Amino acid sequence: MPEATRFTRHGRGWIERASYPVGALALAVGVWWGLTLAFEIPPFLLPPPEAVAARLLNDPALYARNALFTLEKVVYGGSVGIVVGFALALGVAYLPWFRRAIYPYLVTARVLPKVAIAPVLLIYLGTGLITAVVFVALIAFFPVVLSTAAGLSNAPAEHHDLLESVDAGWIRRVVYVDLPYALPDAFAGLKQAVTLSVVGAVIAEWIAADNGLGFVILIASENVRADVMLAALAVLVVEGLALYGAVTLAQRAAGRWSALE
Amino acid sequence: MIDLDGVGVDFEGVRALEGIDLRIEDDEFVTVVGPSGCGKTTLLRAIGGLQAPTAGAVRIDGDSPAVAQAGARLGFVFQNHTLLPWKSATENVTFLREMAGEEPRREEAQDLLASVGLEGFEDAKPRELSGGMNQRVAIARAIHLGADVLLMDEPFGELDEITRDELGVEVRDIWRRERKTVVFVTHSVPEAVFLADRCVVMGATGRIERVFEIDLPTSRDEDVFGSRAFQEQVAAVRRTLHESYA
Repeated sequence: MPEATRFTRHGRGWIERASYPVGALALAVGVWWGLTLAFEIPPFLLPPPEAVAARLLNDPALYARNALFTLEKVVYGGSVGIVVGFALALGVAYLPWFRRAIYPYLVTARVLPKVAIAPVLLIYLGTGLITAVVFVALIAFFPVVLSTAAGLSNAPAEHHDLLESVDAGWIRRVVYVDLPYALPDAFAGLKQAVTLSVVGAVIAEWIAADNGLGFVILIASENVRADVMLAALAVLVVEGLALYGAVTLAQRAAGRWSALE
Repeated sequence: MIDLDGVGVDFEGVRALEGIDLRIEDDEFVTVVGPSGCGKTTLLRAIGGLQAPTAGAVRIDGDSPAVAQAGARLGFVFQNHTLLPWKSATENVTFLREMAGEEPRREEAQDLLASVGLEGFEDAKPRELSGGMNQRVAIARAIHLGADVLLMDEPFGELDEITRDELGVEVRDIWRRERKTVVFVTHSVPEAVFLADRCVVMGATGRIERVFEIDLPTSRDEDVFGSRAFQEQVAAVRRTLHESYA
């Protein structure tokens, strides 16, 4: 990439691009604030922005602690889901008998509303971290399997001929050709998995946990504390964005030795 | 030496090749010409061990193609350059050697790139190079492998005619310099005649129709295209093709 383009992308252009969404956010908060003022909405229904900010600043430790609890579920559950999903994708891509045996059930798993599984898990695993981890993993593995398995067939057939012509073997083919070609799809699945992991963690906290941002939202709802709910929600959004950003950074780093560019 | 003895290939009842007897000597440049679907690519793949014959046998210096593959003795160049898009020209040249389990030699790879006219493009990615340049990288890759046999499957098929002519001259030069046995498949009659010591004409039924000994000087450049000897032999090969497909 020429230097001039690079400057625009990361220099002035970056600020310009960021100004639009930041402006939209400022406008939305402004409208929110205006509505609460103009219609004199009672704070227990819709607190003004400054009340939510005050709530956050009043007890930052509460939100930080619970954000970490949620993060724990997302990271553990998401990691299990991603690793299992990746292993299943390898099986689906390279073992025809495995693909034929498992594919109908993968489709079934897609149709099944995962939320319906959570109460079942509760019976077998109780209300601890393990239930949340299993539930998040169940939600996260699916997009990883489908995207990665599809991506593993991206490499042109002639590339396989080329490697076969020097008897390179199956492992070299997978590592040096198929996987790099699969990375764009695999990362698309990974991004979905991370987003779904946050959803899964919150659902798990509603059903089977006594901590985390989802739990804070639930308790606040029961006590009609809209300011606490919105504060927890704001923290949850930031957490989700940070996780998504981490995957995007990893994708950029992987672009050096793959078909991502 | 490459020895084909009664080689035939059936694809689920459809005959792609039948009764191919052909012996290719060391350091010989053989072209295989015929229209699309005549089995010429299947023939090349059978020699290279990418297609198992359903009849007869292929021997490369007495060994099966699988043994030759394992010894990195077969250097393929495909119609599509098959370079990895995320690797530089130098990395692409050394890649095949690495996949064969041999030590890559970076400096030798860069010398090879220079010898095919790509000095200064050592770090360029495939998308930064033209189709002809990428095909040069692919040829350098096959040579860097150190194979005695080059198997080229319409390597200039997607290039414009001027680039084709240029690369044809270069491939002849490379062949003379490196002393390789070359089997070169093409559907272009002039290309087949220009490059060859011997030109194998494939007939309609997956058989060899005729083999022409090409009578042209060993050292060949663009001037050959205008020579009377060249044009007469192109006409003779064309005639054979047209009679076969009439």
